[in-house]
Amino acid sequence: MTPVVAGLWGFVLLVVLMFARLPVGFVMAIVGFLGFGLLSSWDASLNLLARDFFSIFSSYNLTVVPLFVLMGQIAHHTGISSRLFNTANKFLGHLPGGLAIATIGACAGFSAICGSTSATAATMASVALPEMKKYRYDPALATGVVAAGGSLGILIPPSTIFIIYGIMTEQSVGKLFMAGVLPGVLLTVLFIVTIVVWIRLRPGLCIPAPKASLQERIASLTGVIETFILFVLVMGGLFVGLFTPTEAAAIGACGTILIALIGGHLTWKGFASSLNETTRISCMILVIVAGATVFGHFLAVTTIPAGIGAWVAGLKWPSYLIIGMVILVYLLLGCLMDSLAMIMLTIPVFYPVVTTLGYDPIWFGVVIVLVAEMGVITPPVGINVYVVAGVARDVPLQVIFRGAVNMMIALFFTALLLITFPQIALFLPGLMK
Amino acid sequence: MSRITKEIARISAGFNTLAGAAVVLMMLLTCADVLLRLLRHPIPGTYELVGYLGTVIISFSLGLTSLSKGHIAVEILVEKLPRRAQAGIEAGTSLISAALFGLIAWQSLVYATDMRQSGEVSVTLTMPIYPFIYGIAAGSALMVLILLLDSLRSAIRTVKP
Repeated sequence: MTPVVAGLWGFVLLVVLMFARLPVGFVMAIVGFLGFGLLSSWDASLNLLARDFFSIFSSYNLTVVPLFVLMGQIAHHTGISSRLFNTANKFLGHLPGGLAIATIGACAGFSAICGSTSATAATMASVALPEMKKYRYDPALATGVVAAGGSLGILIPPSTIFIIYGIMTEQSVGKLFMAGVLPGVLLTVLFIVTIVVWIRLRPGLCIPAPKASLQERIASLTGVIETFILFVLVMGGLFVGLFTPTEAAAIGACGTILIALIGGHLTWKGFASSLNETTRISCMILVIVAGATVFGHFLAVTTIPAGIGAWVAGLKWPSYLIIGMVILVYLLLGCLMDSLAMIMLTIPVFYPVVTTLGYDPIWFGVVIVLVAEMGVITPPVGINVYVVAGVARDVPLQVIFRGAVNMMIALFFTALLLITFPQIALFLPGLMK
Repeated sequence: MSRITKEIARISAGFNTLAGAAVVLMMLLTCADVLLRLLRHPIPGTYELVGYLGTVIISFSLGLTSLSKGHIAVEILVEKLPRRAQAGIEAGTSLISAALFGLIAWQSLVYATDMRQSGEVSVTLTMPIYPFIYGIAAGSALMVLILLLDSLRSAIRTVKP
């Protein structure tokens, strides 16, 4: 069997096992192990298995994952999200669709201390949905906004997807984080524009909340201070190169705990469940990374990635067409599988293609995050929609999907702008040393 | 079988507590290192220790993550099948997963023993590395038990729905 043929069979087995509901990380390790054994030797493959798992589990760079997850979990369990929403609500709630706009604002704020879409969606769902229900917001609007707004979690730093992408492709995680800031702001604005247009077109979707007085507004500002301090501390320190991403995450987690303790918001139970969630999510992520590493070693010996890279480079197609194809593949895959797994699976193949075409790896990281964001709200496998459905038990899944898909317009526009003007992503990282 | 199930759940929870403690330790150690570095007294070996604590976190949370179905899988096809077919498939996939973690446990043991015999130590602290690899073996061995039990349960459900 030639390496290429073995590689193709490997992909077939991968798809079969994955659709048989075998966990994605396990599948990649199994196929990688079998393929590598077949193409080199079984002894080498057995060795590889133990070494890859140890090197991934003990990787200093990856320890940033549990620490940032912990930071987000503590924030989730200590009511930071409800204070953010309260502030946004006091300023924006009285506008038409104001609570939905406030939800997006609070999502953006929460994303600045949390690196996951599902955690952001979960925390905002429990805070914002009851309020919106009170003012008779249309269920599709209310739930769709939370599901889509939650996706900001991986674009505005910190972000688990940027971390994993950065480590896989040996790009600076700090630069990737900075690259996410301006597109994050842009997407927040476009989400809000989408809501405003939506309400204009269908004015009966909600009734406005009462207007807050100036005093109430000023008093509510304290709800933003903690988030602001944490974000400036963590991202500022990263930006000026004061500490590594792991150190930034540790300080962020510690700071979140301290602020929660000072405010009297942290209970022992909240702390224990934060830790439990942290180990579970980190374990899930790192097992996928370890599996993808074994699989990547197999792919490398099949010579398929290099072959595809050379083939695409020889196509003489305009490069935006190829980028368009890559994005299309991501959109399709994103409908079927978890975004992290999708990225791990495709990076070894797509990354060489994209860099051969001369695109900036940091910019491509942001593009990938945007398509991953679309993936978390598109049917049938949109994790954020399921998370929101878990909170809004009276709203059927298809209604949430309908709302979320409306919000996708903003994601498409952001992606389009990002492809036309790569500077939106590359400006801030360019300022770093 | 329910006694074994309970026992495994207890061990997994215990392992997970260890993993949680490692998270806290990692956070405190890193923060202390940053603060002391500002005073020009960084803690030597932080870089290594944090990496090894990472191993502890992941190896010892494998079990509970698996018990709570926390490992991401593509549900879209299987969930549409009749219950009995689902159970049949799960019996097979759990067995395959058990085999994978069996290999990882076995190879980690071999790897750790190699490391111990060759006296391999970390660069800064000259601390032995092999205990952490035994940790991976322990976590993987627990996975084997969990997955075999899963497979058995699913097999029973396939035969006697």
